[in-house]
Amino acid sequence: MLRFSSFAGSLSAVMLMTSTALAQVPPDPANPNEAVPEKATYVPYGPTIKLDQAKKAADAALAESTKRGWPMCIAVVGPSGDLVYFVKMDDCQYASISIAQHKARASAKYRRPTVVFERLLGRGPFFSYLATLDDVIASRGGNPIVVDGKIIGAIGVSGGTGSQDDLISQAGAASMK
Amino acid sequence: MKTRPMLTLEDCRRISAAAEAEAKRNSWNVCIAILDDGGHLLHLVRMDGASPANARIAMEKGRTAAESRRSSLVWEERIKAGRNSMLGMPGITPVQGGLPIIVEGICVGGVGVSGVQSHEDEQIAAAGIKVLG
Repeated sequence: MLRFSSFAGSLSAVMLMTSTALAQVPPDPANPNEAVPEKATYVPYGPTIKLDQAKKAADAALAESTKRGWPMCIAVVGPSGDLVYFVKMDDCQYASISIAQHKARASAKYRRPTVVFERLLGRGPFFSYLATLDDVIASRGGNPIVVDGKIIGAIGVSGGTGSQDDLISQAGAASMK
Repeated sequence: MKTRPMLTLEDCRRISAAAEAEAKRNSWNVCIAILDDGGHLLHLVRMDGASPANARIAMEKGRTAAESRRSSLVWEERIKAGRNSMLGMPGITPVQGGLPIIVEGICVGGVGVSGVQSHEDEQIAAAGIKVLG
């Protein structure tokens, strides 16, 4: 208890010292994140994907992987990122079981393809903050499933290169359009 | 060198379809998870109306059965009999509804089901495994 209070005391002292400094952080014209967009652009969420729809999207992705001879894991989630359907193809690497789910979850929760994170992180240090956001995965292969202009879920694919994963994922997402 | 049977995607599809049919026949909305003998997820189906929690629980019941090579009910009954220390076993979800998949006397994985009463969950898992003969 004594140790905790002394720690809290030193912490508040640090905060006092820095709070004035924080208010004075000048804008950095070199940082593209300083711009304040007028509008919020997003695709609205719809109802949670039905199992039949999830199977249809995953089967389209599975057919494309089978045709190309790429062993993949395919995960389909609802708008909140909760798992609805999952398949692991024979000989797919073990790591992809969780990566496929992660890509699908991140794509649904952030309402965008995971390639967006990959591209922005590649653009340099002003975008490295993205890696600090909850549950981000900066690797392509996760794509939202959009029906009637609304996001009903997302599909995540892992097992090959990022580009192979994304091709399969997009084939799955496109089957719902 | 020893060789042993291993679940394929085709096996998982057959198991899952039979389990889902058993659930549908009873108008039960459940999640059905199939894992290999190391507890790695191979196949999962969450039927409409089953909750996100059902997906997590189905996976954990299946993992319990696959990794311990016995029904998750065995764990539940041990604890019920007073062996409370079993609650601390790593990776074990001691709730009925997870069954091991035994082929040629070898555990090749497990099926976990969650969504209805535990004995009904197990009934669905058993119906799935039955298709392997």
